[in-house]
Amino acid sequence: MAHSLSDDCTPLKREYDSCFNAWFEGYLEPAVAATPAERLQHAQGKAEEYERNCGAIWTQYRSCVQKAVKDKGLDTLLQQAREENPLNEPPSIRASEGTSVS
Amino acid sequence: MKFFSQTFLYDDPWPTVSLAFFLRYPNPFASHVVSCDVISRTVSPTGTMVTTRLILKRGSLPKWAPQGIMSKAESWIIEESEVDPLNGVVRCTTKNLDHVKVMRVEEDVTLQRTEDGKTLQKTEARFVSNFGWGLTKRLESHSLARFKANVQRSREGLSLVLVLSWTLTGILLVG
Repeated sequence: MAHSLSDDCTPLKREYDSCFNAWFEGYLEPAVAATPAERLQHAQGKAEEYERNCGAIWTQYRSCVQKAVKDKGLDTLLQQAREENPLNEPPSIRASEGTSVS
Repeated sequence: MKFFSQTFLYDDPWPTVSLAFFLRYPNPFASHVVSCDVISRTVSPTGTMVTTRLILKRGSLPKWAPQGIMSKAESWIIEESEVDPLNGVVRCTTKNLDHVKVMRVEEDVTLQRTEDGKTLQKTEARFVSNFGWGLTKRLESHSLARFKANVQRSREGLSLVLVLSWTLTGILLVG
């Protein structure tokens, strides 16, 4: 499994990924022949199972990553991406639109 | 702006391809992926799962690019995906968070279950540079060319993950 952005979080990430992968495989194959009501029940069951199996390790991993994201100053970039606003541009680059020949 | 679009049919069923898609890092065809983290994930009671991942990729700049346009040839990528197992669809969109003036790449991928039990992948990508200095078009063309080459590599990577997942299942069943 790939590394976390912070080495401190990598063990937690691996533990979480293993838990998630085991759950995800079953989640991807719902009973196709079921009625809509049964499907909904299945989906709710899977959501509860995820929380039960992986909820605790997810909380630990998430807080580790959230701290790392903040420490690296990535939280602002993420916030902007989520709001779908134009992103901050690196101040070192000053290329004016007028010089483009495209 | 440059645009890329392609469809590809996998013979494997949708759950298998979708699993491989989520497990695709790391693989030997994606050695440029430095890190990959889930930063939010919600499993809704209606059955869909929404995930945001933050990925760090290492790249290389073309030789003709001006010195210092990027402090490091690394880029943070945000990937947002939605999985709907009832309808057999994965929707996934990625874009880079930094170096956006040099190049903004947005990629949309859907994996759709087909009626004959296969999986259709649709990929669309847009490349926009606002760099200027007469290099905008050249940067966009370069990115598109690199992307085309990488699409093949990422497919090989995904296929390898598919084969490995089958092999692993086989070992587990036999062992």
